[in-house]
Amino acid sequence: MSGASSSLLVGEIELISSDDGTASTAMDVDATEPVFAGHYPGFPIFPGVCLIEFAHRSAQCTPPHGAGSIKLTMVSSARFLSPVYPGDRLEAELGWTAKDGDWQCSAVLSTKRGGRAAQVRLRYRAGDTG
Amino acid sequence: MIGVQQIRESLPHRYPMEILPHRYPMLLLDRVDEIVAGERLRARKAVTLNEPWYSDLPTSADHAYPWVLLVESWGQAAGILAAGDESNPDLRAGMVMLFGSISDARVHGPVLPGDVIEHEVRLMRMFNDTMILEGESRVDGRPVLEVGRAVMALRPAEMLTDPQPARGELVDAQTTRRRS
Repeated sequence: MSGASSSLLVGEIELISSDDGTASTAMDVDATEPVFAGHYPGFPIFPGVCLIEFAHRSAQCTPPHGAGSIKLTMVSSARFLSPVYPGDRLEAELGWTAKDGDWQCSAVLSTKRGGRAAQVRLRYRAGDTG
Repeated sequence: MIGVQQIRESLPHRYPMEILPHRYPMLLLDRVDEIVAGERLRARKAVTLNEPWYSDLPTSADHAYPWVLLVESWGQAAGILAAGDESNPDLRAGMVMLFGSISDARVHGPVLPGDVIEHEVRLMRMFNDTMILEGESRVDGRPVLEVGRAVMALRPAEMLTDPQPARGELVDAQTTRRRS
């Protein structure tokens, strides 16, 4: 993505490894993330859409070779498997496949404490800006 | 639709915070305009620069509203329709409404500060305490989000408070499909 844009996550995405078509990323879910104040007061749980955002930002960091700039068009699916709490370290295993002229990123998200947290498939259009 | 007749006939119009446990900055609905219990809901959210996502953004930056928050806002509207009058703002006891999955959600956008997002949610199927919903969101009549399928379910609060590793999905959509 070019330039700054609004984001609901403060945490940084760490690129663990990347090969053409696959990648591993991680993020420390810090208790200071702004979303925890309201999700939920006195009982913080990392929102499911933040798991989707983590997968999306990880995908943006590791686009497939030759795709150029990519733009999200669809959440093909996101299944939430177990809750993620402040202090967890989120890890993602990503795989890219070409699909009907677009690119699809499949991500499995997990924490060491809770195991699999979510499975997310995102669809991107290649060659767009923004 | 299956089981819809079991839902209460009507619900009073209420503010979202009376039904949802979410609070600032994650209470992403401002008004419920219409509920036809067990059938459909219309609600709205006004996007403002005063939200924390914009706090450190340079004036020259892209001010498009984060699309995942658009999805969350629609999901909260869906949660109100799904919960009906079984809503439980206390997440640590009783039954809680969980967002199990979402699929075929097309993001159009952009949504900008000053826009008012109008959500529509329709309940497609209901099996016991699990609900399948669909809908869309518009700004001034322009589609900004289409949701093909969302699964929500009432589940025991212990599923959120139990720190043990997950034993399965929070909401088992596979089971839901088999029952259909």
